[in-house]
Amino acid sequence: MDEIRDGMNRIDCDILVIGGGTAGPMAALKAKARNPGANVVLLEKANVKRSGAISMGMDGLNNAVIPGHATPEQYVKEITIANDGIVDQAPVYRYAQNCYDIIQELDRFGIRFQKDKNGEYDVKKVHHIGTYVLPMPNGETVKKALYRQLRKARINISNRYMATRLLTGEGRIAGAICVNTRSAEFLVIRAKAVILCLGAAGRLGLPASGYLYGTYENATNSGDGYALAYHAGAGLANLECYQINPLIKDYNGPACAYVAGPFGAYTANAKGERFIECDYWSGQMMQEFYDELVSGNGPVYLKLNHLAPETIGEIEDILHKVERPTRGTFQAGRGTDYRQKMIEMHISEIGFCSGHSASGVFVDEDARTTVTGLYAAGDMASVPHNYMLGAFTNGAVAGEHAGDWIRDVDHAAIDEGAIEAERRRVLAPTLREDGIPPNQIEYKTRRMVNDYLQPPKVTSKMELAQERFAEIREDLSSGMLVRNSHELLRSLEASSILDCADMAAAASLFRTESRWGLYHNRVEFEGRDNENWFCHTLLTRGRDGMPTLRKQPVAPYVVEIDDTEKDAYYRQRVGSNALKTVAAE
Amino acid sequence: MNGIFDDFADFDDLEENLADPDPGARRVAVMELADSADPAAIPLLARAIGDPDAGVRLQAALALGEYDGPETSAALAGALSDSDAEVAQAAAASLTELKEAEAAAPLLSYLSDATPFVRASALRGIRELRRPEALVPATAALEDASAEVRAEAVGVIGWLKDEAGLAALIGATHDPSAEVRLLAVGALGFSQSLDACAALIAALGDPDWRVREVAAETLPKTASPEATSSLIDVLSDDAWQVRLKAVRSLGKLRARAAVQHIGRMMAHPLSNLRKECAAALGEIGDSAGLAYLGAHRDDQDPDVRKNVRWAIGRLSA
Amino acid sequence: MPLAQTVTAVPVVVDDAKCIADKGCTVCVDVCPLDVLRIAETLDGRKTAYMAYDECWYCMPCEADCPTGAVKVNLPYLLK
Ligand SMILES: Cc1cc2nc3c(=O)[nH]c(=O)nc-3n(C[C@H](O)[C@H](O)[C@H](O)COP(=O)(O)OP(=O)(O)OC[C@H]3O[C@@H](n4cnc5c(N)ncnc54)[C@H](O)[C@@H]3O)c2cc1C
Ligand code: SF4
Ligand code: SF4
Repeated sequence: MDEIRDGMNRIDCDILVIGGGTAGPMAALKAKARNPGANVVLLEKANVKRSGAISMGMDGLNNAVIPGHATPEQYVKEITIANDGIVDQAPVYRYAQNCYDIIQELDRFGIRFQKDKNGEYDVKKVHHIGTYVLPMPNGETVKKALYRQLRKARINISNRYMATRLLTGEGRIAGAICVNTRSAEFLVIRAKAVILCLGAAGRLGLPASGYLYGTYENATNSGDGYALAYHAGAGLANLECYQINPLIKDYNGPACAYVAGPFGAYTANAKGERFIECDYWSGQMMQEFYDELVSGNGPVYLKLNHLAPETIGEIEDILHKVERPTRGTFQAGRGTDYRQKMIEMHISEIGFCSGHSASGVFVDEDARTTVTGLYAAGDMASVPHNYMLGAFTNGAVAGEHAGDWIRDVDHAAIDEGAIEAERRRVLAPTLREDGIPPNQIEYKTRRMVNDYLQPPKVTSKMELAQERFAEIREDLSSGMLVRNSHELLRSLEASSILDCADMAAAASLFRTESRWGLYHNRVEFEGRDNENWFCHTLLTRGRDGMPTLRKQPVAPYVVEIDDTEKDAYYRQRVGSNALKTVAAE
Repeated sequence: MNGIFDDFADFDDLEENLADPDPGARRVAVMELADSADPAAIPLLARAIGDPDAGVRLQAALALGEYDGPETSAALAGALSDSDAEVAQAAAASLTELKEAEAAAPLLSYLSDATPFVRASALRGIRELRRPEALVPATAALEDASAEVRAEAVGVIGWLKDEAGLAALIGATHDPSAEVRLLAVGALGFSQSLDACAALIAALGDPDWRVREVAAETLPKTASPEATSSLIDVLSDDAWQVRLKAVRSLGKLRARAAVQHIGRMMAHPLSNLRKECAAALGEIGDSAGLAYLGAHRDDQDPDVRKNVRWAIGRLSA
Repeated sequence: MPLAQTVTAVPVVVDDAKCIADKGCTVCVDVCPLDVLRIAETLDGRKTAYMAYDECWYCMPCEADCPTGAVKVNLPYLLK
């Protein structure tokens, strides 16, 4: 089973989409629709049928900008404020303008959104300024519907291939090197354009459960996308703005306060009192969450038990059927009936994801990275607060742009030396008789991430982390042992995880201020320093092979934000902290 | 897997496998037909849904959910009376996936089936196709003995958004089943007519709180001149959920007349309600609201405080 | 360093009486995002799916998509 076979296939295509989760299928479909003559390949590490964060579906769109309920301008404003202003607005604006078309397209694909009794979209209100939540009953059919469309469009799907490095040549993208996860055979794909849709980096921090895969994020998303972009020379923005999520404790799944919120549920402390001022998912909210957890008022709960039994039944229906269906089993095992008990919550380990910040592979409004011909979309690209609809919408933007762009270019020349070097790197652990298993390399990396990188961030701890990571890097390249192709897959993931850990440390050390609440809470540099740090940080691979950083200005705003609005979130923070200090004393 | 890409189905092989004596093998063949995304699979699936083995029939019912058109809907509708309940359920679920208008025709003839489940499932399949010719049979189905069928009939009429169906919907707001009334009341939202408004106002007095809640939520969608005063009356409803929706609707209507009533409710012990009141006062935008909001600047609930601050900001601007 | 085989309780159980892997079904193996399921031969020479690697995300497509209801995903012990 899973023996290592020697082999190398080569193919050419016009557009290679890597990652068949959410953004990827849409990118492939749109590229093909825009340029029907193009040869489009969709490559996936798992199987497109059930891969990615939406594997079993989702319970709703968190950020639907639907005419009559919200405007693109309102949306851009809110996202800018929620990100402490560090946002290039153009891609956000593009998303806000395009996403309604995508909702309608998904609807035609057979993906079901909640409709009212007249068949109109039944948008739920979560915020005064805009209204963005659109529930999805039967969300579990999302992947099925996408797969059907891909088959209809006759897209070439390549499952169980993991991309390990990108190829560049003539100063632009040239293709990718991939390994089959069940046979270890190589596949070299030459492409005129490559669209990266490899999702978040969900296996960065270590969950307390004792399992490497008990993560919130789809565990196949091991940060390969960030590593691919990094080694290809692309810039990565604001990686210090980590993702940290409020989760159901131990289960590590989403609590979905935004689903239950419109029904009247809320996050409460042990006394059953609300304590969060900021109901938008932001670093500020996570800071408030963290403060409450470590104060005498914790733990933190999601409170539903004040709602009518009929309402709770409705919420249970939504939450337990899709997204993470084991959630119902978990709550039953714990004896948590939402009618009686509150649901205990916790905060997650850290990860990279643009779900809640403008962090990730830097892209412009056409989803282009800083490498010509290389695009990125979804959770790994730097457009903030994307979520599922953003992945679809920006996947479409990337696909359409690439569909046009490849008309006028040819394949870039590729460097055979690079292919051979990558083959040696990948197979090295298979040539050893004895050594360290990949899961131990991964465990140690992620334990160090928890010990030294989890906020609040402390300089000396992060520097220690860098020392440890360097040692692990040495162990990985000279001592790791792989016995079959499945372990080979895990060893390659361990290597991406380590790259991400190094990027996280370097980016966090670079920005010497605190911003985005808990996400970048640097203990020695309290508060925002707008004079020096109202900018993006851009990380690239330095000559020494290690991350190097520089500042990049925030692009001029498309939608003006007036001064009183700018600090809306900040003011709340001061107010609530003051109150809490009084309460704690 | 020898190839690099996912295969597309070979129909000759599949047809052979569909005739395999082993039901397991037939089942696997049906799954492959589901994946093929090729309409050529439909007739094969229509045959497989009549297989002697219930497992194969179940798989075929699920597989047909991947396809559309009249041939698909006819095959699925036939399976609604399958002797195996699981097969029938799967067929019903697959019917809800239909999108092509032509798929409606075969379903219409099932509206007079002897089994309520079949009648209800056929209506449910028709609903999203929004076919005008469904109005008459759906209206007739409002007289059905089964509440399940009547509920689906209301669904069909509501989605048509046709004033011609209004009288039928208003009739359904008096249905003996609360579930049916609730759907009918919600479905009135499309109409701007005085009759629809009157029916919604009447529904604010429904014996079931969930029906009253939907009525309070739906009322501002219409152009009723009496909406405000009726909603103000509901502010003293026994169920806080109904009050909450009424407050929200009064906010949407920017009902100045409601300021005092909503303001007084700011003292309610339930923080969800206080929060909604503060937001509504802000939306109404009448500075008279300030008197009530000021006292809650330091409300113990941060969400209420936040809404109060926002509302005060709006009213003072 | 020498390697050891450590015991672990895996969350996914396949009822081999229901599994139709020997008829050509590989659905659960195909859909598993973490690629931890495989087909094995049973003692009586038939085939059945089983969990080969303890690397589950308990995401459930294996259970949801199995045509015969043979797969059950339990919550792993450390998580319960
Ligand atoms: C538990 C959970 C709940 C959520 N709930 C909601 C919600 O209710 N509403 C909402 O709007 N959003 C929600 N989100 C967010 C939303 O799901 C994501 O933002 C979105 O799906 C991301 O899409 P993506 O294409 O970037 O990544 P994914 O869909 O995760 O796709 C990435 C794909 O890349 C593949 N891949 C990874 N590495 C490689 C490699 N080296 N080679 C080849 N392929 C590779 C992976 O296998 C995967 O299929 C939720 C996310 C999670 C995790
Ligand atoms: S999906 Fe079910 S029947 Fe098919 S191989 Fe897996 S366990 Fe067996
Ligand atoms: S629950 Fe998910 S990860 Fe676990 S075996 Fe099933 S499909 Fe694979």
